[in-house]
Amino acid sequence: MSIQTTQLRKTYNQDTDFPVHAVKQLDLSIEQGEFVAVMGPSGSGKTTLLNMIGGIDIPSAGTVIIDGIDICALKDKALIAFRRDNIGFIFQDYSLLPVLTALENVEFVMQLQGHSEKECRERAITLLDQVGLGEQLHKIPSKLSGGQQQRVAVARALAPSPRFVMADEPTANLDAKSTAELLDIMQQLNEKEGTTFIFSTHDPRVIKRARRVIVFEDGQLTEDRAQ
Amino acid sequence: MLIKLAWRNLWRNKLRTAIMLSAMAFGLIGVVTMIGFMNGMYGNMIDNAISWQTSHVQVHHQDFVDNPETTLAIVEPELITAELDKISEVIAWSERFIVDGMVASARSSRGVRVNGVDIDAEARVTPIASSVKEGSWLPAEGRHPVVVSLKTAQRLRLKLGSKVVITFSNAEKDVTGAAFRVSGFFSTPSSNFDDGNIYVRRTDLMAMAGIDGSHEIAVLLDDKNKMSNALAISVRDKIRLITSSENSVRDWQQIQPMLASIIAQMGPSNAILLGIFVLAMGFGVVNIMLMSVFERTREFGVLMAVGMQKHKVFALIIFETSLLGVTGATLGLMSSLGLIELLQITGIPLGNMAEGLGAFGVDTTLYPQVAASEYRYIFITVVLVCVLAALYPARQILKQRPVDAMAEKH
Repeated sequence: MSIQTTQLRKTYNQDTDFPVHAVKQLDLSIEQGEFVAVMGPSGSGKTTLLNMIGGIDIPSAGTVIIDGIDICALKDKALIAFRRDNIGFIFQDYSLLPVLTALENVEFVMQLQGHSEKECRERAITLLDQVGLGEQLHKIPSKLSGGQQQRVAVARALAPSPRFVMADEPTANLDAKSTAELLDIMQQLNEKEGTTFIFSTHDPRVIKRARRVIVFEDGQLTEDRAQ
Repeated sequence: MLIKLAWRNLWRNKLRTAIMLSAMAFGLIGVVTMIGFMNGMYGNMIDNAISWQTSHVQVHHQDFVDNPETTLAIVEPELITAELDKISEVIAWSERFIVDGMVASARSSRGVRVNGVDIDAEARVTPIASSVKEGSWLPAEGRHPVVVSLKTAQRLRLKLGSKVVITFSNAEKDVTGAAFRVSGFFSTPSSNFDDGNIYVRRTDLMAMAGIDGSHEIAVLLDDKNKMSNALAISVRDKIRLITSSENSVRDWQQIQPMLASIIAQMGPSNAILLGIFVLAMGFGVVNIMLMSVFERTREFGVLMAVGMQKHKVFALIIFETSLLGVTGATLGLMSSLGLIELLQITGIPLGNMAEGLGAFGVDTTLYPQVAASEYRYIFITVVLVCVLAALYPARQILKQRPVDAMAEKH
C-alpha cells in the first residue's frame, strides 16, 4: 500500500488577483511502513500537503492515489469511510473530545467503524497501555498533561488500525521529555506494526528520528532524502 | 456512545444549560397552569350547565322550545320514560311542568320560569335539593311550597315562610294564580339561572294550569367524558326512534350551542397559548444551539476527519437538542403536574372575578384540569420544536468540509 501524488496542486483564493499557491505540482510517493518527516518553514505548505493526502482537503489539481484508489474522486461518504478505515490523524493541539475520558476517546473512533463494545474496550485499553496511560484510562483530557493528551491522540489515531498516520506538528506543544517519549512510542509502532507515519514538523528532534525527510519550501519539494 | 456524548456536550456549559432549562421549566409551568385554568373554567361551566340546566338530553314538544305555552306538553311522555328505564346509561330522569309567569311578594314582583317538578326525581337529576342554603327542599306534604333562589329572595325581600303569589296563563289562556309559601332558598353557580327560576311541585302547578302532563323531560346520563356529547347523541337517537315526531329530543350541545362553541374553541385557544410559548422557547433553543454548535466547529471538523459520517454528526447535534427538550419538558411538566395537583386540592379562589363569572355559570373557586393527553401533546411539541431549532445550526456545520471546520478559531 502506498501513497502516490501526481501533479498535486493547492491554490487558495484561486479566482482572485492574489492567488496563494500552497502546494505546487507535487509528485511524491510514500511506501507502506515509512517513517517520514515533512519539514519546512511555516507557510511552506506542509499541513496542506498532509491534509490533501489525508483526504480532509481537496486539491485544486492533480491526484492522490492510495493503494490504487484516487481519493480525490471519492464521494463525501466514501471518502469519510476511507479516512476512517485507513488514515489516522494526530493534531498539534491534540483535538480530543473534552467530555470523553481517555478510554472513551480511543473507543469512540473504533465504534465509528462498527466494532463491538467489547472489542473497542479491549483494543483501547491495550493501546493506552502501550502509550503508557494504562493508569489514566478514566481521566478526561483536561486532567491530563499535554504530553499525556498527545499520547491519547496517538492511541486514538491507531485505534482503527490505519495504514497511515498523518501527524501535524505533533510535538509542537510538548517538552523535550514528552517529545522523546512520544517519538519512542511512534517509532515502536512503526517498526512493530508497519504503520506508516508522516509528520509535518520543524522540530529537529523529530527530523533526527525520521528515516526519510522531505523538505518543503514555498509549496515545492526541494529535498527528499533517506537517513 | 452518541447519546452519551450528546448528554455530556449538553452539560459542558452548565450555567447556560441550566438557564435554558429553567426558562423552559418556568415557561411550561406558566403555560400548563394557564391551560389548566382555562380547562377548569370551561369544564366547570359545562359541568354546571349540564348539572343545572340542560342535563344530557331533554325532550320537549317541538313547538315548546320557541313558544313555551302551557298547552304544548310532550306527546305520550310515558313511552319516553318507559324507554329511559331500559337504557343502562341513564342515571335518572325528571319530568317537569314548566310555565313562564310572575312571582310577587308584598314588596315586589318578578318574571320567572316556574319549574313544577317531581320532588325525588328532580333531586336525582339536578343538585337542587342539596343546594338549598336555607330552609328545605320542596316537602311532599303541605300546601303550595315554593323554593326560590337567594337572589330572588333578596329582590322580593322574602324570608322563610313568606307568602308569594305565582301567576301565569293557564290552558284556557286565562290568568291563574295561587299563593305559595317559601320553604327554602337555593343558590346555584349561575346568577342568571338563580335570577329566573323557582321550583314548585309539579302536581300543584298542573292543578293551577288545568292540564296534566309535562313540558320537559331531563335525562341525566352516566357520562364520564364531559367534553363529548357522543353518549348523549346515542341516547337522544334511541329516544327519537320511539317517540312521536311532534316531540323534540335534543342533546346538551343542541340545547346550549354555546357549550359546543366553548369546547370547539378550547383546543385552538390552548394551542395558541402553547404556540406562543414554544415559539419564544424555539428562538431561545436556536440561540443556545447556535452558540453551542458554532463554538465547537473545529471539534466537528475533527470528528469528520477521524471518520464520523455526516449523518452521525447531524444525529449528534439532534440528540443534544432532543435531550435538552426532553429534560426541559420533563422538568417543566413534572413541576406543572405537581402544581396542578396542589391546585386541584386547594382550588383557585376567583375573588372579585367570581361575581362576573357567575353570570356564565362558573363556581367561585376553580380547580384547574390538565388531561394526560395534553401533557403528552405539550411534551411532544416542546421536543419537536427543540429538534427543529437545531436544524439550522446542524445544516451550517454539515455544509463545511473537515479542513474548513478545523480552521475555525472558535
